[in-house]
Amino acid sequence: MIELTVNGQAQRLDAPQDMPLLWALRDLLNLTGTKYGCGIAQCGACTVHVEGQPARACQLTLAEVAGKRVTTIEGLHPEGRHPLQLAWIAHQVPQCGYCQSGQIMAAAALLRETPRPTDAQIDEALEGHICRCGTYQRIRAAIHHAAANS
Amino acid sequence: MDGMLDRRHLLKGALLVPLAPLAAGAQTQAPPPPTIAGSGANAGPGALGAFLQISPDGTVTLRTTTTELGQGTHTAHAQIVADELGCALEAVRVVVGQPEPALRLVPVNEMYTGASFGVRVWEPRLRRGAAAARSVLIAAAAERLGVPAGELRAESGRVVHAASGRALPFGELVEAAARLPLPEQPPLKPREERTTGRSVQRPDIPPKTRGAAIYGVDVRLPGMLFAVARLPEVFGAAIESFDARPALAVPGVTHVVPIPRGLAVVATTTWAAMRGAEALRVTWRATPHDGLDSAGVSARLREALDRPEAQRPRNDGDWEAVKAAAARVVSATYEVPYLAHAPMETENATVRISGDRAEIWAPTQHQDWCVRDVAQVLGIPPAHVTMHTTFAGGGFGRRLHVEIAAQAAHVARAVGRPVQLLWRREDEFAQGYYRPAFAARMEAALDAEGRVTGFAIRGAGGSIMYDYRPWLFRNPNFVDPFALQSVTDTRYRFGQAFRAEYARVDLPPKVWLWRSVGSSQYGFFLESFLDEVAHAAGKDPLALRRELLAHDQRALNVLNTAAERGGWGTPAPAGRHRGLAYMEAYGSLCAQVAEISIERGELKVHKVTVAIDCGDVVNPDAVAAQMEGSVVWALSAMKHEQVTLRNGRAEQRNFDSYRIARIGEAPMVETHIIRSGQPLGGVGEPGVPPLAPAVCNAIFAATGKRIRRLPLAGQDLTRA
Repeated sequence: MIELTVNGQAQRLDAPQDMPLLWALRDLLNLTGTKYGCGIAQCGACTVHVEGQPARACQLTLAEVAGKRVTTIEGLHPEGRHPLQLAWIAHQVPQCGYCQSGQIMAAAALLRETPRPTDAQIDEALEGHICRCGTYQRIRAAIHHAAANS
Repeated sequence: MDGMLDRRHLLKGALLVPLAPLAAGAQTQAPPPPTIAGSGANAGPGALGAFLQISPDGTVTLRTTTTELGQGTHTAHAQIVADELGCALEAVRVVVGQPEPALRLVPVNEMYTGASFGVRVWEPRLRRGAAAARSVLIAAAAERLGVPAGELRAESGRVVHAASGRALPFGELVEAAARLPLPEQPPLKPREERTTGRSVQRPDIPPKTRGAAIYGVDVRLPGMLFAVARLPEVFGAAIESFDARPALAVPGVTHVVPIPRGLAVVATTTWAAMRGAEALRVTWRATPHDGLDSAGVSARLREALDRPEAQRPRNDGDWEAVKAAAARVVSATYEVPYLAHAPMETENATVRISGDRAEIWAPTQHQDWCVRDVAQVLGIPPAHVTMHTTFAGGGFGRRLHVEIAAQAAHVARAVGRPVQLLWRREDEFAQGYYRPAFAARMEAALDAEGRVTGFAIRGAGGSIMYDYRPWLFRNPNFVDPFALQSVTDTRYRFGQAFRAEYARVDLPPKVWLWRSVGSSQYGFFLESFLDEVAHAAGKDPLALRRELLAHDQRALNVLNTAAERGGWGTPAPAGRHRGLAYMEAYGSLCAQVAEISIERGELKVHKVTVAIDCGDVVNPDAVAAQMEGSVVWALSAMKHEQVTLRNGRAEQRNFDSYRIARIGEAPMVETHIIRSGQPLGGVGEPGVPPLAPAVCNAIFAATGKRIRRLPLAGQDLTRA
């Protein structure tokens, strides 16, 4: 039995120690906002926060997150109105939207450390996140927008 | 969830407006009006004829035909209906309908999302249907209020009588309206009163920022098991033997099931199924192409360029004579690799079987083929299969290929429970259905004054249409329309002779529609070569294109808009260079100016100015988004992407070896939409073809090096 806190709620999971957090979130806790894209930490679609730091849920085993606080896109803001989520809407960022949970979680971690990031800082923080629809220009604009409004 | 609405609830007492199926070949002409009158009585449970329903509570439900892949067509469809019906955009709920005649594209009579059809084909039909609904609502209100219909207007979900200040909500009128015959030629809103053409926010975006949008892979059903496929590494290799025991030994694994092309491992979680798929011991049969590699593919393409026989769908004038008389002939050979679609959501489908009925949940671009294949596997009539179309994590043409649905049906039947079948990213890359590797040789004849007097092109590569719709080739004279796409119908006039040939090359990897399809390579071929011709003739590349398009004001306008907005002819910022390209695809004309720099051999694309004439526009911001996405898509392919073969296998299996452009590489894209008033064109694909040649022409301007092969990765971009 593995215990951890997900989006503020204590969870006890009867699952293998080596199961990646990604699949526990998706298949056991039904938190499907965190996405599978590659399974090898190359695309960023599965990005969550562990103890407030961005992390690839496909690379973290349940053993590694036992006792820790995990935040997923569903828990980023109680009403889904985090400044980045509002900026994502204002700039109409998502197209297919599949990668955007990971993009937003990475951006949220960036803004916590760097409240007014430059383009170069944004590019560096989001370098590991593929958007196949090519929404990068709007992602940058939305992060600047959120930074200016928070 | 979209697509999971209770149909009977919506149908009860609702006004149903069917879309009339189009006559064959009528897609680009004015559509016929709806002719089947729907009503609350004759559209009871099971009726599938309606695309637009207005319920007594005032809800407007649009059963649309397109899958929302990120291109924004659900929003555009809602805009059109809201505008013509007279209600708020927010009042229109959009769900994907079931395959049925009214939602099928002609002449193929299939429900699918492709060819940038989403708005250009459906706009007139949606508008006419909504106008018919408005007309009967107004007629019902006229009866109730005892005033002439001409004094009434539909707005904000109500029918309003301005003179008396009275108004009736649509919901109160639907029962009476449903008894009236729908007019065949309803008057459409005058153009100047329309609200379409203004940017609106897409309703699918807020849930996509909260992780709440449901994609195929997010479907969860009671009792559902998770399955992961194990597929061959060599294209089309069959199973010789397999040992399921190592897979079944993985905790959570419940079954191993043979499926077309491989095996599926079923488990209680996706993770257990993945581990099981890896643990399976499979011996694959040898194939005749176990030794195939990319050099062999390239050699086959080059051979085909010299092959005596080829199809010749365009042959104006006497090319050989024009060539013989030319003062100068410019010629060059170009080549591009196989490309993967790599949508972020890998292939998946969920199937639930209940007796002689089945349901599919899938992020598919082709509903009819999903239904057809699942019905066939299960031996039940297609009418017994319900299709739930989910959001799709990207499409780009990949999801017109639907074999995952049949595979999932095999698994669901074998295990007797609902099953979600997923392909791993590694299988997504390995299974073919690529944009074909392709080569082209081009020749241009010039006279002594440097005028183009003739042009000949031969393309060689796999036939997409042969892998997509093989039955068309029963006609031996059939020419794959993708094989010379955007070439045979170009607006350019090349003087006295124009010859276009195609030599088909059949290779083991299946090839498939990839965003902008044949135009994806011909943009690079033709527009790079025209740059070569311009330099050979001592002309500015814009000036040469203006000469070749001098007869066509619409094309000139697109070209000139991109050139002017992109600063063509003005000094570029220090260290920067510009390139230009133009192509027409999917009914839209698109020109781009790329501004680049190269430092220490490293390419940086700073800015791309896009001009697109898509006739008219419904949601301008969505068009801009498609141009931005198309630029990044094409830039990624141009710089990095290729599937290479070694020993019959794709060498790229995940994003570590198949590189996709990242945020730091994304240029600033500036979009200029030209509303020419011509018939609507597509926007999902036409932005792709001009990008690679615009950038490569800029590379030539910067370095004197002509790029005739993609991707750029590994090519020396230092100054020649």
